Amino acid sequence: MDQMPVVQLRHATKRIGSKNIVNDLSFDIPAGEVFGFLGPNGAGKTTTIRMMVGLIKISQGDILIKGQSITKNFNKAIQNVGAIVENPDLYKYLTGYQNLKHYARMVSGVTKARISEIVEIVGLKDRIHDKVKTYSLGMRQRLGIAQALLHSPSLLILDEPTNGLDPAGIHELRNYLKRLAHEEGVAVFVSSHLLSEMELMCDRVGVLQAGKLVSIQNIKDFVHKGGASRVCVTVEPAQTEQAKRLIASLNKITLPEENPGQLLIQMNKDEIPAVNRLLMDAGIQVYSIQMQEQTLEDKFLEITEDKK
Amino acid sequence: MSGLIANESMKIYSRKLTWILLLLLVAVTIGASVLGKMNTKSSEDWRAEAIQLAHQYEERLKITELSPALRADAENKLKIAEYRLENDIPTSPNNPWSALLTFSGLMEMVIIFAIVIAADMVAGEYTAGTMKLLLIRPHSRTKILLSKYIAVSLFAVVMLALLVVFGYATNALFYGLGDIHTTDLFLNRQGQIVQQNVLMQVIKMYGLSIFPVMGYVTLAFAVSTILRNSALAVGISLFIMIVGNSMIEATAKMEGLKYLPFANSDISLYIFHLPARPEMTLGFSISVLFAYIFALTFISWMVFKKRDVSI
Repeated sequence: MDQMPVVQLRHATKRIGSKNIVNDLSFDIPAGEVFGFLGPNGAGKTTTIRMMVGLIKISQGDILIKGQSITKNFNKAIQNVGAIVENPDLYKYLTGYQNLKHYARMVSGVTKARISEIVEIVGLKDRIHDKVKTYSLGMRQRLGIAQALLHSPSLLILDEPTNGLDPAGIHELRNYLKRLAHEEGVAVFVSSHLLSEMELMCDRVGVLQAGKLVSIQNIKDFVHKGGASRVCVTVEPAQTEQAKRLIASLNKITLPEENPGQLLIQMNKDEIPAVNRLLMDAGIQVYSIQMQEQTLEDKFLEITEDKK
Repeated sequence: MSGLIANESMKIYSRKLTWILLLLLVAVTIGASVLGKMNTKSSEDWRAEAIQLAHQYEERLKITELSPALRADAENKLKIAEYRLENDIPTSPNNPWSALLTFSGLMEMVIIFAIVIAADMVAGEYTAGTMKLLLIRPHSRTKILLSKYIAVSLFAVVMLALLVVFGYATNALFYGLGDIHTTDLFLNRQGQIVQQNVLMQVIKMYGLSIFPVMGYVTLAFAVSTILRNSALAVGISLFIMIVGNSMIEATAKMEGLKYLPFANSDISLYIFHLPARPEMTLGFSISVLFAYIFALTFISWMVFKKRDVSI
């Protein structure tokens, strides 16, 4: 039983009219993993999340949470889930504490001590008895996370969780989510547009495009696959053509670059000194050589461009 | 379930709007009592007063274009005044119970305020986006909807209770606590004059008014659930209420209209023997209202249960 994934999507499909908004999604998320869900706007990320929490019906297939179907066994499945869907929309006319009390009443076993603990964790202790309408977006986000964690769920679903948080808040949240997953074994499902954020936070990412899952892999493989990095070499603009010819003689690919004097070369780090020497020996003036780490963002664009 | 109702009640009573409505209700109730007191002449000679009243209603009945409702009202009052004189029954002394019976108009205020709150119960959660977080808890949608319905019904009952309590208290200041055995003359279903306990009539009127109040609460709640728009829910419900009041007279002419909720929504018509149509009874009105309440609740439930929540 321990081996059973916390979330299992089984050919989950959402059809509206004749269009498949989400098409045949199948993947698992094991306990203790931070899973990043990426995709451009309108790819169906939020629709998938809504299906996972039973807000909308699944047209075909099923989604299981701890083995319980969200459609057939809603109460049993959903009690393992804490979530923020889209924005952290809370009751503005209630205080933060009243909001938490509200959600605490809806599940069993959340004590006053647990509420205080959660308030402490999200750092809202000083403002928890203020009305939510006086909160900043960041504070609302924290309160949203607090309501999601209140009943210690096995699955935490967060839609754009770093939205509105300041850098310190993002850093804190990132560490907290990682700790939650890696130490307490919670499965964390995060959707985000902030790709750099995902890179630092997630163990695995899935890329969604036009309702289809186009890629799912470990974050390390995802970012570093392909081996060669790009290196940007800046030379004297007048010598650009000469430099290009020299590099072509090394069988390196030069990528087109708009700025005169700049060359983008696909090569490994250990090849840089050789290239440098070649250019210098030919009397070409080199101003700078920079490694360009391919970020998740590049990778993401690459994948989504490929599939178009 | 009790937790869910506690939640919904917390949401109702945490809003400023709710307290403004409750304060307004209490203020108007007290105001109406004071106005009632100012218009009450405490005459020593009940006979002279009854003769004067009888004369006044006879004059009114001579007006040819008098509306049927006003005519029936004048006829009833004339009948009672004459009966009083014939049988030598003095008017009952001024007391808070009789005063409460004259407040039936304030029931409309309770209905309007209940509509305002009911209209926001479901639609408000959609507009604020809070419906999502409410529905992802281990409770069926049926329970969530039911808890909202119960909470707003309790709110309506609270308003009715405030109306009675403050109406009674203010009048008790003017006329004393009142004897619970006070009786007065009323017309029964057959149009015969009978002596009845005033307190019992008060209990009957306010107790049974739950049905019309719930009728409008259910209507506003249903529109709120189906259209997910509070403003429309208030608008449609108030529109029906206003049109409905003018439909009571039309019902006298067209029999089919008696199955619409309008002519059945004013319980005081039965207390004062003024049914829109002679064959209509209290039981009939309550059955009609109940049928509408049931149908609207059923439709709201079906829609709420099935709907994809994507706001």
